[in-house]
Formats: sequence, C-alpha cells, structure tokens
Amino acid sequence: MLQMEQTRREDAMNEESILKIEDLHVHFQTDLGISRALNGINLEIPNKKVMGIVGESGCGKSIMALSIMQLVPPPGRLSSGRIILRQYKPEPRLVEVSALGRHSKEMRAIRGGQIGMIFQEPMTSLNPSYTIGDQIAEAVLLHHTDSKQQALNRAVETLDKVGMPSPHEVVNRYPHELSGGMRQRVMIAMALSCSPSILIADEPTTALDVTTEAQILDLIRDLQAELGMTTIFITHNLGVVAQMCDNVAVMYLGRVVEQGPVVKLFYEPLHPYTKALLNSIPRIGSSQKGKLQPIHGMVPDPYAKVIGCPFHPRCNNSKPGVCDKEVPAFTSISEDHSVRCFLYSDEVEQDDGI
Amino acid sequence: MTVSSMNPQKNGNEFRADTILEVRGLKKYFPIRSGFLRRATSYVKAVDGINLFVKQGETLGLVGESGCGKTTAGRTIIRLLEPTEGEIFFKDRNQGWIDLAKMSRYDLMPVRSQIQIIFQDPNSSLDPRMTVERIVGEPLRINHTVPRSEVKDRIAELLRVVGLRPEYMSRYPHAFSGGQRQRIGIARALALNPSLVICDEPVSALDVSIQAQVLNLLEELQERLNFTYIFVAHDLSVVEHISDRVAVMYVGKMVELAQTSELYMQPLHPYTEALMAAVPKPDPLRRDRPIKLPGEVASPANPPSGCYFHPRCRYAKEICAIETPEFREVKPDHFASCHFAGELQLRGVLG
Repeated sequence: MLQMEQTRREDAMNEESILKIEDLHVHFQTDLGISRALNGINLEIPNKKVMGIVGESGCGKSIMALSIMQLVPPPGRLSSGRIILRQYKPEPRLVEVSALGRHSKEMRAIRGGQIGMIFQEPMTSLNPSYTIGDQIAEAVLLHHTDSKQQALNRAVETLDKVGMPSPHEVVNRYPHELSGGMRQRVMIAMALSCSPSILIADEPTTALDVTTEAQILDLIRDLQAELGMTTIFITHNLGVVAQMCDNVAVMYLGRVVEQGPVVKLFYEPLHPYTKALLNSIPRIGSSQKGKLQPIHGMVPDPYAKVIGCPFHPRCNNSKPGVCDKEVPAFTSISEDHSVRCFLYSDEVEQDDGI
Repeated sequence: MTVSSMNPQKNGNEFRADTILEVRGLKKYFPIRSGFLRRATSYVKAVDGINLFVKQGETLGLVGESGCGKTTAGRTIIRLLEPTEGEIFFKDRNQGWIDLAKMSRYDLMPVRSQIQIIFQDPNSSLDPRMTVERIVGEPLRINHTVPRSEVKDRIAELLRVVGLRPEYMSRYPHAFSGGQRQRIGIARALALNPSLVICDEPVSALDVSIQAQVLNLLEELQERLNFTYIFVAHDLSVVEHISDRVAVMYVGKMVELAQTSELYMQPLHPYTEALMAAVPKPDPLRRDRPIKLPGEVASPANPPSGCYFHPRCRYAKEICAIETPEFREVKPDHFASCHFAGELQLRGVLG
C-alpha cells in the first residue's frame, strides 16, 4: 500500500521539480464570511532556479509562501490540495508537506532546515531583545548541532557569507544597532544558516532604498548561484522580477493566471492582467510623457465571490456571457507558457463550489 | 508683518520671472540633547543649506534615499517644521514675494491656504473618527472661503474632481481602499484651491495598478487647475514620469538639479549616476549593472568631511575629502555639487 502511494506521487511530479503545489485552497473563516485567500493554486517549482511570484497586495502570494511552511495563521486553513516537496537529504524521497502536522517533528525539520524564509520587514521579524548571534544560532541548534559554541561559529560564518562587515562583532549586537540593509542581511544569514534547498524570499527588498536594494539583490543572486538553491522570490515590483527570476507566476485573487519564462512574460505576455500590469508602470529611461494606462477599478474585497474569471470586472477584453459565467482553466499555450484566460482556450475549470 | 518679508525686492533680491518659490540656504537642524540640563550637544543636520527654485506650473521632483532630508525639506518649506536658517521666498497671490521663513504664525495664516500638502500614508493622515465630509470640509470651514450653505456642495464637487462618488461623503476612511483614501487626501489638499502642492511620497504606499491611477489624476489636476507640484519620492521611475525638473539630495545637501531628461540621460554627479544604475529595470534582457554603489548612506548627525559622498564615490580624489564642493550651475539650468562636475564621463540611465 505504502509502495503504491509512493509511486503515485512519483508520477505526479516532474523529475526536475523540487516542489509541487496541487490545487491548493486556503480559506479564512471569519465573522464576515469566508475569505478565499488561495483558490486552487497549481505550481511546479523547478530545481535550482529562481521562481518569481508577482501580484498586487491581497492576491495571496504571501499566504502561498506561508502554506508551504505550514505557517498560515488561524483562522486560515488549508482546506484542500497538496504540497509535495522533493527531499534530497538525508535520502532522496518525496514528502507531502501538506499532510504533515504543523507541529510534527518532520515539519519542524523541514521548516528552517529544508526550506528557509526571508521576510519583508526585518525589524518586525527580528527579536529586539536577543543578540544577532543568538537568533541565528537558535536555528542552527534546532537543526544541526547541540553545541552552542559551534552554532555561534556557524552564525559568524554565515554572516561573513552574506557580506556583513566584521561579523565577529555583529553577533554580539542587537537588531536596533544595525541599519535596514544590514538587518536584511541578518535575515538572509538566518535563512541560510541551515543550508536549505529552497529559499523563500517574501518581498525581501520592499522596505529598502534602491541602492541597498541593489546590494541585497546582488547578494541573493550570488548566493543562489554559489549554493545552488531553489529560490521562490515573492514581490510586487516588476523591475525586481525582471532582474532576478528565471520563471514567473502571476497571481490574481488567489489564482495563478499566467506562468512562463521571464523573457516570454515580459516580451509576449498573454493574460490581460499581465499586459495591464506591464503597461501601468512608469519605465525608467523611456522619457515617455504620455499618460500611464492604469488598470481601472480595484482588487475586489476578499470576501466577495466573483463569479466567472476573477479579473473580468477590470478586464478590457472581457467577453460578456463567457468571462462572467465560468472560470477559465489553466491551459498550456506552449511547452513552458500557461495562461488562465478565455482568449486562448475555451476550457472551463470545474468549480468545486466551496 | 515686516517690510523685509513683504517686499524683498526692495532689499536687493531679484527673482526669476516665472518662479513661484525660491529657497535659499535653507537649513533644518534637529538637536541631540543629553545630560541633566538636556542641552543640545550636537545636531542632526537633516537639511543643510539647500538652494532651489520652482517655476510656476511645473513639477519639481525631489529624490534621494531615506534619511537624505527630502521629506524634512518639503515640510520645512511650508513651515510644518520651523527652519533653522535660510530664506523661503514664495510668490503670494495678493502680497507678491514674501519670505515664509521670517513670518509669524499669524501672518502665515492667509498664505497657508495657497500651499497644501499630500501625505504619504493615507491611513495615518486621515482621522479615522471623521467622515469624509468633515475631512474634506475642514479647510473650507476654517478659512471661510465658501459660504456655509455651499460647503456641502463644494465638497461634493471636490470628490467628483478626484474621482470619488459624492454619495460616499458620510462614510469613514476605513470604508475605502488605499487608492481611494489617497484620493480623499488629494481632495482635502485641493479644497482651498492652492497654487503650490507638496506631494510627499503620494503613491509609494499604493499597489502598482492603483499607483498609475493616482499619478494620472495628479497630472490631470495640474493641467486643469495649473498647480505647481513639489513631488517628493524615492521611486526614480515615478519621478521621471511626472517631473519637469528633478533635484537629487544626499545627506541633507542638494547634489544635482536639472531638467528631467538631462538629469537622467547625462547626470553630472557620481551619486546621481549610481542611483540611476541601482533601479531594477523591468526588462529581463537588460540585467547588466555596470556601476555598483558600495557602503551605506552617511549619518546626518556625523557626516564625513569634504564632499559627503566621497567615501562611496568611485571617482573620489584627495580634494573630495577636504573641501566641500559648491552647488554651482555647471551647464545652463543644470546644477551640481561636485568638484569634477562636467569633467567626468558619467553614464545616464540608458548606460
């Protein structure tokens, strides 16, 4: 029985993928109704590549990251779907992350050990009352060693790796003594301290200035190449996506609406939402003085259930009678480029009616 | 009101014909107090002697990294903060040129309605306990510009101008989305029909698709109502899009000021060059970034000697650590404060 289960999962995942998300639904049951944060996400993350997740606030990109880590805050609940991780250490196998208990031993080993995460705002993610060294060592002690001294040495090593000047002194400092860019380096060091195979970076540069942002992006890119990590890069900044990612998934209202290699996405975007996003940003150096083309309307509130394609109320190509009735299925247009839109396919997604 | 503040022309001051605001040597120092008597032991030089002029009807972009003093400069210009030193000449509709820096609070009152500000974060700049009607109507009621019976009518008109429905007047700010809240803030700034509007990071808290809506609105309003904007922001692509001229600040000092396209294509200051190069370009085929800026912004409480930028500057020479460069007109209408401005071959935003 176990053997059968194993083979079924093997079949379900591409050899070159490290993480697969299958029809993932995450719902928040609140007094105001059900908020459908994730509404059927299908995503395969290729190994040793940088996968970008783009979308506006409220599209569910952070919740997706948190559900991979099993950290969705209550009342959020993973109501259906699976998340499968390919584990390389200690022996290669597939693990269904979504089936593990949040507090199970196995999940705790994956969280921080196999998958590291960098959060957006370093000041709120670092504990102000512990030294930098203690905070990095905490993760190392949990996953790798029992010796405090070894853990601290490891903290110094990782701080050095992330380009922190005089790491020996920094381990004894507190977060408030560092600048924003340096704090973000500490966050990266923390995520890397246990040599994870996947790094999730949730808006790692949004709170930083452009020059610091450029430094941090360089650092993540260098580390990614050096350590051969898979990186999931979550951001709303299309410039950052263009500079950092190999593949991109565009999200809107809890669904992936388009996915493909970064160059295709910027040069041959398919989904009207992707096109609209690209048209709405001012581009540096273009000296265009014309009007920007904003997307009209706004993201609907999370409790409203939009019937039909979630983007149709704001879409310029929306077909009445089609787009406002059914949800388009996520279909491949070419080998590596998929889109969820009735302009390209008539296929309808079976709505489970939740 | 003193004579000098009313008619500075008579004291030998000359102004460019088409300007509305001229700032000379403006300084804003915040004291660092310590000890039992809380004496000022040193100062954070947030704005350290800036010069700029703003032409009627234009948009002047003010850019720089956080802590460079751009917001403090904007707030000191409209006297939300008291200037430490310097002159702020503003062309008043009724009195002509006046020096805002030297006026008393009482004398300032009639001038205030002509200069308004739009704040960065609409969540903290709108009172959650006031309805939209009270928020937008407050400046009208205080200044008695509209008869009481017509106030409501004027509020409805203002809301329509910024693209909100007048029916929403009785709602509270929490009932609106981020973009709509920013529109309420804009309606409040418009209420008194100002001639100069300071926009302090008006779109940085908004999503990209909403950002474009608000930027377009600001541009439309400028065309229709002939506003002059000082647009404070850190996003260089947004500033390039909206500004006619751009001023770059670094640690409280003005580093460069020029026409937008000239500044972006042919910068004269190494800091401007590095800043442009750092912007992530939304083009996956252009990943090269030849110029990397090491280190961090200097602290305005303890700035380096000479040119504040010299420890991070790749062109720095001996003189840069010793002498503070002057902010000078290197080319017509192109100002820069670098000892070697005009001599260096710097890359513009297109490389």
